[in-house]
Amino acid sequence: MIACLSIPGFELKAALRRQPSLATRPAALAPEAGGEPLVGPVTAAAAAAGVVPRMRLGEALATCPQLVLVDPDPAAAELAWEEIVRALEDAGFSVEPAALGVAYFETRGVERLYGGLEPALKRALAAAGAQWDARIGAAGRRFAALAAASVAQAGQLLVVREDEVDQFLAPLPLTLLPLERQRYDELEALGVRKLGQLAGLPGGAVAERLGPDGRRAWSLARGGSTARVRGRRPPAELVEALEFPEAVGNELTLRRALGAVVETALARPERRDRFVRKVALGARLVSTGSGGGGSWRRTLTLREPTADADRIRVALAPRLAELPAPVLELRIELVELTEPNGRQLELLAAGAEDRSRLSEGLRQVRASTGSGSVCNVVEVAPWSRIPETRALFVPRDD
Amino acid sequence: MVADSRDARALRTAGRLNEPRPARVEAGFDGTPLQVNHVAVAVLREEWRVLDRWWTEEPVSRRYFEVVLETGENTVVFRDGGAGGWFTQRGA
Repeated sequence: MIACLSIPGFELKAALRRQPSLATRPAALAPEAGGEPLVGPVTAAAAAAGVVPRMRLGEALATCPQLVLVDPDPAAAELAWEEIVRALEDAGFSVEPAALGVAYFETRGVERLYGGLEPALKRALAAAGAQWDARIGAAGRRFAALAAASVAQAGQLLVVREDEVDQFLAPLPLTLLPLERQRYDELEALGVRKLGQLAGLPGGAVAERLGPDGRRAWSLARGGSTARVRGRRPPAELVEALEFPEAVGNELTLRRALGAVVETALARPERRDRFVRKVALGARLVSTGSGGGGSWRRTLTLREPTADADRIRVALAPRLAELPAPVLELRIELVELTEPNGRQLELLAAGAEDRSRLSEGLRQVRASTGSGSVCNVVEVAPWSRIPETRALFVPRDD
Repeated sequence: MVADSRDARALRTAGRLNEPRPARVEAGFDGTPLQVNHVAVAVLREEWRVLDRWWTEEPVSRRYFEVVLETGENTVVFRDGGAGGWFTQRGA
């Protein structure tokens, strides 16, 4: 069975951990700086007052004037989510996180450990923690598990057997499908409002009308693929932070601070002999007045794994310009490291080659493999956008 | 008899560097690769398009992806928009 653990409104719940009193009041996650002015997840009190997620900010405030906007705290949310995923992994589940608040895992390997499917799922719910109102859906297919988790109540387990999948999915709304807003409207205009109605249409006709997205949605409405869950590799835990005595907004100062934290992180003994593939830059921001200061985080996958502080600094520095507010703390996380042999080194170090030995070696290669086996690379159109037209290899028989 | 001034052997054997090689790629609904030669894609690093030689009878239209496979290998694949089919390519 594939299980899906879902925590609706996870980012809001994570942000509210710093202001728990707001949980019972009408509150919504504020729009991200620079993004569309749409509110994020809302509390139950806000929902009761008529505010729904992705509502325009102006409309939300007009609907519920007491609405409190909570600053997003992406770093806290990621940290809290990482804690939950690790708790699940500690309980023996191989977890594939899909998004903040949604994770899949296989139960087959742990059912015997806990004495059956239901006890295993209960263990997973307990690992996630009661304060998050998590729920779990389980089914033979991934989408059916997600759908089951979406309709389950907080703290509830909902298991859908393989022979019940069609019956279970049929009355559910189309909004469970990953489609664009206009696609829902299009389907609604055609009188298709439930998953069962979409699943009943011929696949070819759906693909012709709605394109590849529609075809995928149709396939999901019929239960989706049986793709297995691939558990993640736990990320490296190498974090270095620098706290400023007062908020810093000057980019030059931030660049210097960045250089210092990068060097400190790279000097950690756990990093020894390994190269950095993915790195995250985070910051705790100064309070903007309404709530506590939010946070900011950007991840970056390096083009080539490196342990060179300058290269990492140069790659990260432009991100500092995206900071929306002065910074109280700057942190760097080495999210993904290669194995010690994760980078290919040059066969012959530059400047160290012995030309005569090289010529002799080439002569021997030619002697054993025949004429034409040793070539020179000749650039003919290095400016070309088509890689294979940039250079030729020409046999070298000298 | 006057010999041909061109080196016939060199012309015959010179080849293109970084010639595309056919690959087995399984793509998602949005066209991004999920598997390359039966190895799952771990990270999609970059995507770009190359449209060239549109003024000739053999225009080039490719959608490139730079991916990291689960084995840790870094590879570049593209889908040929003209003839169809997937290829891996070095030096892109």
